Amino acid sequence: MKTTGNPPLIETKNLIKHYGDKIAVNNVSFEVYGGEIFGFLGPNGAGKTTTIKMIIGLLQPTAGTVKVAGYDVQLQPLLAKAASGYVPDTPNLYPKLSGRELLRFVGDLYALDHNRIERRIDELLNLFDLYQAGDDPIDSYSHGMQQKTVLAAALMHDPRVLVLDEPTVGLDPRSARMIKDILRQMADRGAAVFLSTHILEIAERMCDRIGIINTGELIAVGTMDELRSLGKGETSLEDIFLSLTGGAEYAEIAEVLR
Amino acid sequence: MTDAALGNAQAAGNLWHYVGKLLWLRWVIFYSGFRRAKLRGKISTIVLGLLVLGGLAFAFTLSLLLLRLLRSPGLEQFIGDTRLLIAGVPVLVVSAAFVGILMTSFGVLLQALYLAGDMDFLLSAPVPLRAIFIAKLLQAILPNFGLILLFGLPVLYGLGASEGYNVLYYPLVLLVLAVLALAAAGLASLLVMAVVRVFPARRVAEVLGFFVAILSFICSQSGQFVRYSDLSHDQATRAFTLLTRLNSPWSPLAWAGRSLVDIGEGFWFSGLGLLLLTLVLTGGVFALSLATAERLYYSGWARVQISTRKKKAIYTRRSATAQNRELTVAVSRAVPSALRAIVIKDFLMLRRDIRNMSQLVTPIIMGIVYALLLIRSGGQPPAGRGEAPPVFMELLRNLMVYGNVGISLFVSWLLITRLAMMGFSQEGKNYWLLKAAPVSTATLLSAKYLVAYLPTLVLSWGFLVAISLVQHVSLGTLAFSLAVVALTIAGTAGLNLTFGVIGANFDWEDPRHITQGSSGCLSMLSSMVFIVISLGLFFGPAVLIKLMGGSEAVGQFIGLVLGGAASLACAFIPLWLVRKRVSRLGEAS
Repeated sequence: MKTTGNPPLIETKNLIKHYGDKIAVNNVSFEVYGGEIFGFLGPNGAGKTTTIKMIIGLLQPTAGTVKVAGYDVQLQPLLAKAASGYVPDTPNLYPKLSGRELLRFVGDLYALDHNRIERRIDELLNLFDLYQAGDDPIDSYSHGMQQKTVLAAALMHDPRVLVLDEPTVGLDPRSARMIKDILRQMADRGAAVFLSTHILEIAERMCDRIGIINTGELIAVGTMDELRSLGKGETSLEDIFLSLTGGAEYAEIAEVLR
Repeated sequence: MTDAALGNAQAAGNLWHYVGKLLWLRWVIFYSGFRRAKLRGKISTIVLGLLVLGGLAFAFTLSLLLLRLLRSPGLEQFIGDTRLLIAGVPVLVVSAAFVGILMTSFGVLLQALYLAGDMDFLLSAPVPLRAIFIAKLLQAILPNFGLILLFGLPVLYGLGASEGYNVLYYPLVLLVLAVLALAAAGLASLLVMAVVRVFPARRVAEVLGFFVAILSFICSQSGQFVRYSDLSHDQATRAFTLLTRLNSPWSPLAWAGRSLVDIGEGFWFSGLGLLLLTLVLTGGVFALSLATAERLYYSGWARVQISTRKKKAIYTRRSATAQNRELTVAVSRAVPSALRAIVIKDFLMLRRDIRNMSQLVTPIIMGIVYALLLIRSGGQPPAGRGEAPPVFMELLRNLMVYGNVGISLFVSWLLITRLAMMGFSQEGKNYWLLKAAPVSTATLLSAKYLVAYLPTLVLSWGFLVAISLVQHVSLGTLAFSLAVVALTIAGTAGLNLTFGVIGANFDWEDPRHITQGSSGCLSMLSSMVFIVISLGLFFGPAVLIKLMGGSEAVGQFIGLVLGGAASLACAFIPLWLVRKRVSRLGEAS
């Protein structure tokens, strides 16, 4: 881990979100430091995406605070958003824009210099192997290409905080590997990378620290070693995850079905 | 590919069992949708059903009366012998039904085979492929067949009743229409596959929607230009001759119609012969189309697109980018980059998504139609007997000039309600991009305002200048009118955009379904009321001062001050009131 002495770039304090009577996120507090990759795990409907949306400013918390790059997302939203990049779980993009036009649009939204925008577009299209398709409309892209376009859009302004919701879904192994390498490089350059994933191998291999959320509550945060100490002797992240979230009994059921 | 691969090894009885199951599933989906719909939706569906039944009865009565009219001696004097025409009615209806189902099935089958997204699920299920295709074809036919029956059945039954045809005629009408519908749907399925082989299905659906919308609108408006009172004897005769030509002995569609007439009149030999020929021919077309469609789909031919697009040379793109760069840099110095980006993006999206275009072109067509009508009338008040006082005539002429403003504002109202009301909603599921970006509420509102205001202003000014030039309106009046239009549109944009924020809906797939709830209706109503009031404020002083013998220019100035103040208030105050709501848009409650 290379976070010693780095400032926290994401801070949530007593974060709560209610949807009517339903509590989606309950009193969640954690920090993500510059230079680290933080994995955010949890079963379906645990509150991962809701937490992410509050971090990125897409959703107003019912209570609690979120700070991104030191800026309060509620009080200084423009400064917080300018410092962050976001990759949603579904790559919804303007279908009638080309990849190049979309990146130019994003660059303008972040008020980048015109020359920098054009240079960055070429870099990112080349990096993600989208250069040839750069002038084609996005609705002609495959899911994987759209996913890479979203990531390119999130990287346009070289954010200090990168938040990714299931970034490797729908990607081929080569693209998935490339994204993992990019995230590592970003963290090495001092950015905070926050990613949610269901693929526990990715979390185990890539993440410096891991947070596990279940039914809206953060039940564990720490390095792999720290998480192991919380469990009952489990060594793999999968076993720890199932032990903490109460899914271990499903393994027995699966065994019976065989 | 073997028959077994197609699932045809299953017994024929099984096939129809599966067809029945798939159709039942469709019914369950429809019924479930009806059951879960809001009370308003349920009542609307029931009322629609009752209206359809009422329409059937009305069409039957109307057809009966019309066919009796066709046999009247008075009409025979005007267009000659009508017996041929009456005998041609079934041919006409049957031909129209065939062509109608062929055309409408195209769109429905495009949806059912390529866009519904259930084909892979169905193909992976242990269901014969043929059953899936039959069910899809029947699904495509049923709604259109209902429509054809709605319009065609009353005419054909009316003909039977007025001509005293025998009782066998009535069920055979249904049979003939049904087999023709099956054949038409079969051909439509092949046509769909051939088109989708070349163009992406979604694009085809967009283009189809655009043309259908425009064509329907042009047809509905073309009545404005037709002067039925000018219909000459020659024109009527030629029209009826054209109709009777459909009844050619060499046309397969005519065989179907003729078989019905012959059977109805008791000419059994020719009637049954032609009927048999029709059944064999349509059955053959349906079976052949079905088998071919199955094979084309299953083999992948109809699912793999041939590339017709040529890659543009990269240097062309690069040079174009370089050319645009200077302009972009110049603009970016004057306008904040985020504002410019949103405006450009919205214009690109509006222009490129043809489904939006069909809605945007409507006001332009309306504007052209009404402008032409106004120009055709000469733009002058009727002279009457010349007894009206000159001041009154002058006033009337001034009002006619302001009538130009009225048309211009009507066109702009149609356009701006679409552009401003949908400003936020058209972002759809892509709104996260704007929401996650460091864009202030003021920038966002300004951008959406400009996207609605600028094209509307250009269009309405264009209409106003064109009509004013044709009518030789004075430069002073034109300048006043331009200012009135610009200010009124500013107020209308503010009002509509406010309702667009209140009723923003990001959860849609098809732009035609963007509008949700009552805010769209309220938006149109409030902006219409505003236009009427603002026009009163703009023109009232000028008209009153003119009546009192004062200077029109003074009246116009007072009007500009009053109307301008009201317009600017409507442009800014409502948006200021909803500004806090903007930052919370796109968040589930």
